[in-house]
Amino acid sequence: MKKALLLAGLLAVYALAGLAQGYDAMPADALVFPIGVAGTVYEDMELGVRGGTLNVANIEDPRGWNNHTAHETSTTWFTNRMHRGLLNLDHISGAVVIDFAKAYEISDDGLEITFHLREGINWSDGMPITADDVLFTYNDIIMNEDVDCNARDGLILPDGTFPVFEKVDDYTVKVIMSTIYRPVLNSLSNNLMPKHVLAQYVHKLNPDVPVGTFNETWTLDTPLTELVGNGPYLVTDYQVNVSVTMERNPYYYGYDPAGTQLPYYDKIVTTIVSNQDVSMLKFRNGEVDVYGIRPEDIPVLLPEAAGKNYSVMITDLAVYGTTWILVNQDIGLPDATNDEKRELYRNVEFREALAHLLDKDTMVQNVLNGLGGPQWTGVSLPSPFYAGRDVYGGPITENDAITFEYDPALAASKLDALGVVDADGDGWRDLPSGDPLTITINANDNTIRIAYCLIIQDDFRAAGLNANFQVVDFNTLVGDLFASTGDIILLGLTGGDEPNSGKNVYTSCGSLHAYRYSACDDPDEVDLRIDELMNLGANTFDLDDAFAYYKEYQQLLAHQLGYIYLCQPTFLYAHYDFVGNAFKASPTSTPAGNNGLLTELCFDKRL
Amino acid sequence: MKRNGLRALGLMTCAVVFVSLIGLAVDVSSIVANELIEEISKAAGLVLVNDYIADYTAEELEALAATGRTPGIRLAADRALFVINGREMELFEMEDDALLALAEAGDQDAANMWWFHNRASYKRPELVEEYLLTVEVETLEIAAGKHLGGFYVPGSPLGAKTEAELVELAKNGESLGLRVAAATALTAIWIGDQPLTIDQTRSEILSVTLVYPELALAYQGYLTYLFSL
Repeated sequence: MKKALLLAGLLAVYALAGLAQGYDAMPADALVFPIGVAGTVYEDMELGVRGGTLNVANIEDPRGWNNHTAHETSTTWFTNRMHRGLLNLDHISGAVVIDFAKAYEISDDGLEITFHLREGINWSDGMPITADDVLFTYNDIIMNEDVDCNARDGLILPDGTFPVFEKVDDYTVKVIMSTIYRPVLNSLSNNLMPKHVLAQYVHKLNPDVPVGTFNETWTLDTPLTELVGNGPYLVTDYQVNVSVTMERNPYYYGYDPAGTQLPYYDKIVTTIVSNQDVSMLKFRNGEVDVYGIRPEDIPVLLPEAAGKNYSVMITDLAVYGTTWILVNQDIGLPDATNDEKRELYRNVEFREALAHLLDKDTMVQNVLNGLGGPQWTGVSLPSPFYAGRDVYGGPITENDAITFEYDPALAASKLDALGVVDADGDGWRDLPSGDPLTITINANDNTIRIAYCLIIQDDFRAAGLNANFQVVDFNTLVGDLFASTGDIILLGLTGGDEPNSGKNVYTSCGSLHAYRYSACDDPDEVDLRIDELMNLGANTFDLDDAFAYYKEYQQLLAHQLGYIYLCQPTFLYAHYDFVGNAFKASPTSTPAGNNGLLTELCFDKRL
Repeated sequence: MKRNGLRALGLMTCAVVFVSLIGLAVDVSSIVANELIEEISKAAGLVLVNDYIADYTAEELEALAATGRTPGIRLAADRALFVINGREMELFEMEDDALLALAEAGDQDAANMWWFHNRASYKRPELVEEYLLTVEVETLEIAAGKHLGGFYVPGSPLGAKTEAELVELAKNGESLGLRVAAATALTAIWIGDQPLTIDQTRSEILSVTLVYPELALAYQGYLTYLFSL
């Protein structure tokens, strides 16, 4: 009897430690990644074998283990491997796909999304995951004002309301919205949390604990055996300033087509390093297996790569974000000056002339050291909605892209046609009235932006435009941007997968519609169509339709030349050749990336 | 009977593989112990660094690094000490002035680390080439040359050169740094293409060691790789 109790106790500890034995067989509702399956974006990947340790490096220690109160990637790097949501980004294409939801349906009116959950799937402690956990995650954590949670903003619908989450049965959840808004799908990828473990820390559900208790839950002081997740890994060891070890979750529901449970690697050991140079040294010494390289690392890594059996990926994939110049079409409007200049800047023929003076090839070669490419659209190139990709309705042909090639002669003829000629013989082109035209180009103190500006200044001057580049303080520059007091400004924006996230930039009343704020009161036909397309793209759940709307939107943006796009750096990565499937690293996901997606598909080829 | 025959054949095959593996290990140790040509000895020595780390104490390595009988032994011991003493991180944490002082005193590792720290200021090959025109410290010149070699490798987005161009540069480059750069890139090319056997590479080293030392250095790097296979 005593022995039986002891055994029961041991089993309880075993389960608490997240080391339960897992499923007896592949669950019927497992999530199968089509690794190696022809016709999918996974077709060139290899089926792997389980075992081994993936060694990676990360800068900074985690600050806790609570996914929904984390504000830093040094924490979410780990929590994103511990948890998964209803939906996710496809690990390769970046498209929104099912994850813990095995399917979803959208009502005819587009206002209700019904999620069907995977049945027979457990948390890492062996307890079943049900609709109650989904409702707990959204109603009691993310949309709970007591919880300090960044994810809440992403759920706000255009009319300011939140979706309503309702349980239909243990494995069905309905999300009801007041308005059709497809981008909410991105927020339905929020990581799920176990109600049976965490409800006790939420004041709303347990008034015995003070308000805000959840914000202090799953901190670094929490015994790691108390952490429970549904993702591929669990944290099992943490040495401050040294390393974090994660081990496979035996109840993870991801499988490969051969029926092998994912992840392939048994462990991930993350060494905490002080900076990226230390990561690089450790990579070169074989202490870490993958490394996100910077342009300056290439001459160091390339010569030794073959001898050390690692690969340096120099891709033609641009990273997220945009870099651009804007010609302030409202210049002088706030103080009723510069009327003629403003009229000229508002003339798209003039902006086309300037676009033809942007030598993007030289920018790529001289500024990005050959590691970049030109950009013509406001949508980040890795986005599945970028018109040049083929994830949804694409790809488009080169004929569809709206580009303005570097052509100083064409630029000169356009300027001549506009009457922007050297009227007084001083060597500089003047306004059509004969008044001097001086152009100020501003950027903040950023090496790359300054280098771009100097190239632009030279080409503008060579075309007879009296352009002067000045570095200004970043806050002043942003102030000019918002106050419409700048002339030509060079800056950049971060980017994501969903074009609608750029609504504040590109719609006529957007808070960052900085090339012409007056469009809010006085939109032209293109502004109105862009506004319409942005809404149409968001208000449909048909991704091909959305793609078509966003494609037209991108073409109009390019024609409009509000923001005139320059170049983006390309994606670089390095990995030891024994890390199977690491070659699929992309701006969307890498073996050691923040979202943790590709990690579970990588394996040790030496096993 | 047939089964036994197959088993015997299997055992024989295993024995041959085992002997050849042992033979390779013995060869490299033997080369390190007996080879007179510096580049060949060093190539073998570099393969044995991990063995030296496992087999010798720090004191023994100090002695071998100082008074080892061949260049290969001294190099293997020196590199083993570099690892076990954590010298890389020690150098990494030093300020540039301290690294420069060490580099000027002849510490190649310090010079390499100074370059590692400062590589972001030399993002284009012509910037490194300009540096080579003015540098007066040999260790820094070699370190810069190694860095420049990374631009010269085929596949580099900037500055890639052909093998023929690199051979010519390794032989007749105007400065030590340029010749080291060419040698660095050549080694990388040969490791990728594997154009020569061990014996052929040794012959090439013999033919150039006294005339074109940096070209011999390129072959040494390649031979190290061949010995490691």
